This record gives sequence, structure tokens and C-alpha cells, in this order.
Amino acid sequence: MKTIVITGATSGIGLEAARLLVRQGFNVLGVGRNIERCRQAEESIRSENPGASITYFAADLMHQREVVRIGSEIRTFLDEKCDGELHALINNAGCVRSWYMTTEEGYEQQFALNHLAGFLLTHLLLPALQKAHGRVIMTGSESHKGIRMHWDDLMLRRRYNPLTAYKQSKLCNILFAKCLNDRYGSSGIRAYVVDPGLVKTDIGNKETGGLVSLIWSLRKRHGVPPSVPAETYSFLCRQEPAPDGLYYHLCKEKDYSKEVTSENARWLFEISERLCGIENFMEVAE
Amino acid sequence: MNVMITGAAGGLGRALANECASRGYNLFLTDMNEEGLLRIKQGLERQFDVAVAVRACDLTSPESVDEMLSFIDEHRIGFDMLLNIAGLDFEGGFTRRERENIVKIVTLNDAATLRITHAILERRRPGRQFFIVFVSSLASMFPMPLKATYAASKRFLLDFAISLRQELKKQDANVLVFCPGGLATTPEAMRGIEVQGFWGSATTNPLEEVARKTLDRALAGKGIYVPGVLNKFLSFCGKVIPRSWVAAVIRWRWENAQGKWLTGNDNI
Repeated sequence: MKTIVITGATSGIGLEAARLLVRQGFNVLGVGRNIERCRQAEESIRSENPGASITYFAADLMHQREVVRIGSEIRTFLDEKCDGELHALINNAGCVRSWYMTTEEGYEQQFALNHLAGFLLTHLLLPALQKAHGRVIMTGSESHKGIRMHWDDLMLRRRYNPLTAYKQSKLCNILFAKCLNDRYGSSGIRAYVVDPGLVKTDIGNKETGGLVSLIWSLRKRHGVPPSVPAETYSFLCRQEPAPDGLYYHLCKEKDYSKEVTSENARWLFEISERLCGIENFMEVAE
Repeated sequence: MNVMITGAAGGLGRALANECASRGYNLFLTDMNEEGLLRIKQGLERQFDVAVAVRACDLTSPESVDEMLSFIDEHRIGFDMLLNIAGLDFEGGFTRRERENIVKIVTLNDAATLRITHAILERRRPGRQFFIVFVSSLASMFPMPLKATYAASKRFLLDFAISLRQELKKQDANVLVFCPGGLATTPEAMRGIEVQGFWGSATTNPLEEVARKTLDRALAGKGIYVPGVLNKFLSFCGKVIPRSWVAAVIRWRWENAQGKWLTGNDNI
């Protein structure tokens, strides 16, 4: 049985992807922030599929010490129960903020959760992914288009705009996937970004406020249910051999921004390594 | 520039630490939360080429402060700037709050701030200009029923800072007092802003911007910084409208907002 890790798996797209992948016979490890919501999600999946292979881990991936803790718990779990193999890692957890807010490390929260958390978790689980010739899938967005990386002010301290921070974090997702393919494609790892489209989730209403929350409440009415994008994750996990593309919407390849160059990807990768305190991406420090 | 920041492991303190480090200042950070200090030190050193020293300290305990001061003296650290950020608030009516919590507001916001300011002024680097920032609040401009102790503790800082500024003028030191409205620093703070509806959002200041401008103004020799046009107008109203009227209006408004806030959130 192949194992898949999904972050942000207690609501929205992550929960529906977990539900679908469990139904399709994968062993799913979900990560959620709130232990109670993890329990509820697990119960809900089990209630429709009593033999389901689903396990939840609670961690607030906003903070790096939590990513490191959960990374090592998952590694132990994989070693003990899954022959140390991970078929896919779905870096789906993400957030929207109305204001400039920082993590424990002083990093801007959208950049930290939407990009750095997935970057660090991928590093921590890379040995298990390599063993299984696994796939890394990021939840991206069409909004990554029409923006450049703010290299001289990545955390947008000089002029914070919530939407700019969100778009940039989604551009980071696709740059990260590109660099993973450039670096580790030859060792059998494939990385993808899913554009879920406009989906009816609560992302814009959690810990936001005022205008951002209001706009999102109006916008999400036109969204599709999260079970629609869940199909694309399942497609990317099940397709054999692994598809060649980078950016997918509704199970089809799609064009991405011209900003997605190998040079930008490498640059972001190096900065992210530094911000996560990683000396060598291939080697997990004990 | 050697800068000490108190309350550096959270919200405004963390934002100011980022701002200082981006300007290349060396930092000495203190907070109650030792784990948080280690995390922010790590984050700053990964982003910027600066020296960051951290030391956990309970500023309300004279012994804890003395221990930190001997650590500072052992390492012969001198300072050019002190950012007094540590502070706290317990919302709610005077008789409904716990006695010790109410006293703690004054102990930390005022007494502890005086103690550390006095101590760090003795540890100035010789021959250099010195800068002090106190964090008061928009709340210092009004008597505030239901936030009575907090507002009064911030009024203390406002008046103290304005006086100290005059005392230190001849000693080549500048004192700035910063009076922000709401700041979106934590999920609880966000919720506090949210329940006030329009006025909550309208008086809230962007954290990254006030961090930058607070430093700019302190360095430029300014004495008081009230961020935002609306907040400036409100603080002006606080000066011209009779204080008992202001208090009556605020009680009416806060009873409304706090009712919503305190439901299901009574430990704030």
C-alpha cells in the first residue's frame, strides 16, 4: 500500500483530497493544526470507509520547530510501518493574512506557511521520497501570474499588501517545484503544482479580518466544491509513469508564469535553505 | 548601533527586532519567553548579518533584572538605544478582574519599564547619542472605562516620557513615545480588533510600517508618534473634550464590543 502525506488535511481541499485518496486505496497521513479537528476529520473519513488507512498528526506548520517535530514523527512512522517509503507529499497547508504578521522566527506568515513550511517538510521527508521515487505536489494558484519575486524584500516589510504576499507565496510554490525537478528529477523524484481554481473553502476567513474576509466570503460563493480539485491530486499520484509537466489544472497541464525560470528557482531554493537552516538539502541533520 | 529590545519575542517587539536587524543594528533581546527568544535570534541571524544576544528575564522581578544586568556587565555590553516594548493588558471591568492581574498591569507597564530604563541609561556607550522609545497607546489619550488600569498605565508612560525627554535633552539623548491604535500581533489581538467592527479596523496600524516609522522618528529626534490620521484626530479630541464626557462615550462603546469579545474568551 502506497503512503501519501497531506498537510492542511482537516478542511477544504486537503480534506477532500485525503478522502478521495483513502477511497482509492492509499495509506494517507494527514497533518492538521488543531488536534480536535484532526480527530473529527479522521472520524468523518472512517465513517464512510470503515477499513480506511488514515492517520492524523497535529502540528502548527507556521513555526519551524513544529515542522521539524512533525517531520521526525512522520519519518519514524514511515520507517516502522511503511518500509521507509513515501509515495507522495502534498504540501497543501496555506493561509491568507489581512495584515503583516510574523512567525516565531520573525518571518512573514504567508511566506512562512505557504512556502517555507513545505520546503522544510520536503527536505525532512526527502530520503523516504527518494526511496519510493516519490512525488511532491504543491497547492498553487493562478494568482502566481502577473507578479515577480520581491528579492530585495521577500517578507514585504517595506510595503505590505496581503494579496501581493499571497501571490508571491504561490509563485514560490512553483519555483520550488521547478528547482526540485531540476535538481532531483534524475533521481526519480517529480514535483508538481496544482492550480485548484476558485474553490469554496474558508482560507480567506481564517484569522483574517475586515476587507479580506468580506471579499473572500463574496468570492468563494462562485467557487467549485473542494472535491473537484481533489481529482487533480489523485491524478498526479496515480498516473504511471509519473507525468512530465509542472503545473496542472483539472488533470491537465497548464501554462505558468514566465517568471518561473531555472535561475529564479535556484535563487529561491538557496534563500529558503538559509531561512530554514538547511546546510545540505539531501541530508537530514539529526 | 547597539539596541536593547524588551518584549522582543512577540508582536511589536519582533517586528522592531526585524526592522533593526535589517538596518544592521546589533541586538540584545529580552523577554519572559526563552524559547521564543531563541527562535527569533535564529530567524534574524539567518536573514541578516548582525549579532543577536538574547537573555530571558522577568522584568517585574528585581532579582531577574539584576541577573540580566550582571550578564550584560560581564560581557561589557553598552547600549545606544532602548526599545521598551514589554507590556500587558487584561481586559474587563475592574471588579471582575483578578486582583493580582490588575496590579501586574502597573507592575510591568510602569514599574518594570522605569527599572530597566534607569539601568540601561547607566549602561550607555560613552560619547554617543542615545535613544529611548516607550510604547504608550492611543488609550493613553482618554480615560477608558473597562480598560481603566491599562489606559492609566499607558498615560503614566506618556507623561513620564514627555518629562524625561526634557530632562535628558542636555545629555544628548532623545526620548520618543509611541501611541499606536490596534496592532494585529496575535490571533487574540485580531479578534479584539474584529469585534470593534469599523472602528477596530480603522484605528489599527500596520505593524511593519509603524515599526519602521518608530525608528525613523526616534532617530530624527521626534518626541511623540501617533500613527494614522484618524488616531491623530482622536487623540486631539481627547485633549479638547471634557474627560468625563469622553469616559461616558467610551464606556458605552466598549460595553458593546467587550460583551462580544468576552463571550467564550474570558481568560484574556
